[in-house]
Amino acid sequence: MLQPEVVQLRTEGRDEQQERRLSESEEGNNPFSFTPQIIRLHKDHELFEDGDIHRHMYLQDLYISEAEDKPALSVSEFACHISGCSAVFSALEEYEHHYNALHRHVCCSCRRSLPSARLLDIHIQEWHDSLFTILAQKQDMYQCLVEGCGQKFRTSKHRKDHLIRIHKYPPDFRFDKTKKERGRETKRKEQKDAAMEMVDDVCESEGVCEVMCNSPSDEPEGGESMETHEILYKLNMCKVLTTVHVYYTVLFSLRIPNTVCFGHGSVRGFGGRRGRRK
Amino acid sequence: MWRLNKVRHKAGRPGGSLEELRLKRRENERALRQARRDRQLVSKRLLLNEDEEQLDVSMDTAPGGHDIVSLLHKLQHSGTDKEAHLKALSKVLRDPSAQLTFIKHENSMHLLVGLLTGSNAQCRLQAVRCLHELSHSSHTNVAPACLPATPYLLTYLSGPSTKFTELCLYTLGNMCPDSDVVREKLLAQGIIPALASCIENQRHNLAVVEAAAFTLSQLLQARDAPEKIIPMVLKSTLPSHLLSVLTPDPQFGLAPAIECAWCLHYLICSTEDNKELLAQGALSQCSSLLVSLGGAVTEGNKEDGLELLIWPLLRCVGNLLSSCPVEDLNAHLSDAHLPASLCALVQAYLHTLPALARETVWVLNNLTAHSTEFCSTLLTLNLVPGLIQLLPSLSVVSWKWRELRQQLERTTERNGDQGTSSNVPMSSKPLHHFVEKEPRCLGIVSLMFGCAELLMGFQLFGQELMTSAELY
Repeated sequence: MLQPEVVQLRTEGRDEQQERRLSESEEGNNPFSFTPQIIRLHKDHELFEDGDIHRHMYLQDLYISEAEDKPALSVSEFACHISGCSAVFSALEEYEHHYNALHRHVCCSCRRSLPSARLLDIHIQEWHDSLFTILAQKQDMYQCLVEGCGQKFRTSKHRKDHLIRIHKYPPDFRFDKTKKERGRETKRKEQKDAAMEMVDDVCESEGVCEVMCNSPSDEPEGGESMETHEILYKLNMCKVLTTVHVYYTVLFSLRIPNTVCFGHGSVRGFGGRRGRRK
Repeated sequence: MWRLNKVRHKAGRPGGSLEELRLKRRENERALRQARRDRQLVSKRLLLNEDEEQLDVSMDTAPGGHDIVSLLHKLQHSGTDKEAHLKALSKVLRDPSAQLTFIKHENSMHLLVGLLTGSNAQCRLQAVRCLHELSHSSHTNVAPACLPATPYLLTYLSGPSTKFTELCLYTLGNMCPDSDVVREKLLAQGIIPALASCIENQRHNLAVVEAAAFTLSQLLQARDAPEKIIPMVLKSTLPSHLLSVLTPDPQFGLAPAIECAWCLHYLICSTEDNKELLAQGALSQCSSLLVSLGGAVTEGNKEDGLELLIWPLLRCVGNLLSSCPVEDLNAHLSDAHLPASLCALVQAYLHTLPALARETVWVLNNLTAHSTEFCSTLLTLNLVPGLIQLLPSLSVVSWKWRELRQQLERTTERNGDQGTSSNVPMSSKPLHHFVEKEPRCLGIVSLMFGCAELLMGFQLFGQELMTSAELY
């Protein structure tokens, strides 16, 4: 959080002093190309912010000594580190809760956040696995969302009916949306949406197959229409992929990989095909 | 630290109010941060009466213009009971809507000023109390309405009464940040000489000194201060008085020293060239005070609110170091313990107040930037490893790296071999260092390789092998 501040300080320091000592440091066998600089800070400098706040809190009689303040983590506001999430917190518990609720079980490809690992698995299987769609035409593949129930259904509509009738779920249960229902969502991340579902980009390849393979009667229940350029793109993709989607292996999982490597030039990190979000 | 004691008293009530206090504090902190970003950070101080200090300030009387009007009426017409009415008025004026009603009422200020300058001392006290409440208002219209009273307030500054003078000073201090008009008028009426003589005459009365320094700090924070106010202040005797108050009195507490230190900070950071202040010994005094505070902190004597004094002192020293030419540095900084104290402060406040630790690091940077003596002090006192360890936690890596590299530069220049190799962290030649530092390991490895070659030689000697020369 403080890195940008540091960088800015460095440049500000250089601006504020007119030092021309670079030549000095280049002489000799000095391994460091660095110039010592005295930094002068003016009254409104960023570095002085916390001290000023401290002082004004004292002036306004809001000063609490450390002894009294210990139970609460005395941390000023900080933001969530996930790119695209602009939530700001002032307490660690808040942040923990936010992270656990929104960033834990996230689908890699469509960036949807789901409340549990099981739902995430089901989501990936049903939405992003093309083998699933093939198998679903022949056998019952849609699992009941309730753990322990174990029943399987031919279509998601059957499952939904089951959930409503047997398990008394509401008809608009958030985590049982079919793919077609999300047509209207925008491509950009909605930052103000504190709800569980985060906006995604369109599932290209698998969605394409589904469009082509499914019968027209299954066409949009919700009546959403996709934009024309999306359809064209999908048609193009489908031509390429009909030949290869058979080879899309069940093992291709969009979950978080088992072993993750970070670092320069690493391949096994989180960088998705869909473009990194900074 | 009588103010801090008050807050603690408030907070010592049942837990619910402590939680509320904390929430309120967080909200206020957010508001303050935003105000600072907008460059509109101002604070006003409210001086509570002695009998109110132990009580809850929130009032449950029905406020409103009705009360004000009736009180004013009574004040105008009653003969003897003015003091009681004024007291009631001052309580009513805590309410913002009542304040607005008051200033809109005709002749209200005139009446108040009349009572302020009247012959009844108690009435004067209560009248100034009313003015103080008005000045504390957050509405920008209210404080300028008190302008007619300012000449009298300034006159009373040289009076002998403590409480009264304090109230006058805090009223003036609260009025300063509100508008340029108010400040211009105050300057024209001679607030700076008045403050100077007030501090001079009441030097023994630390409460008054604190109030005067607060008022000065409010003046100095104005946007146009560097052009208009600061030259006047520097010409007056105020800086020397501020420096003399800097050493805290153990009985009264840190409050006057805190205010003076902040005034000095505003003075120093607004001017490029601080010759006059340096000449008056500002740097030596601030640095020696920092040293003693650092010593107190190391001993574990973490008095409440010590950081309120350390903060402005650090900034003063940091900025003074940038204006002080290197040759004179030794003359000003006679105390060689400064680097050690600064390092102690960094360590002490690293986790509780990281911002303070960062500013200390900045001061260290300025201290060692051009001065070889302080660099060598840091090295000889073996403070550098400690600083290196703290680097990851501080996240002000750039400055500390500068400093460390400065020192290394210096030592390589002078060919000092006191721990140079140990001070080269994260070098990019690990094998080189291994070879240098671990001769025993190296020897053992060479021995093993050599023995292996020897054994192979014995074996191969007996065989008839063709060398590559024969092959060709």
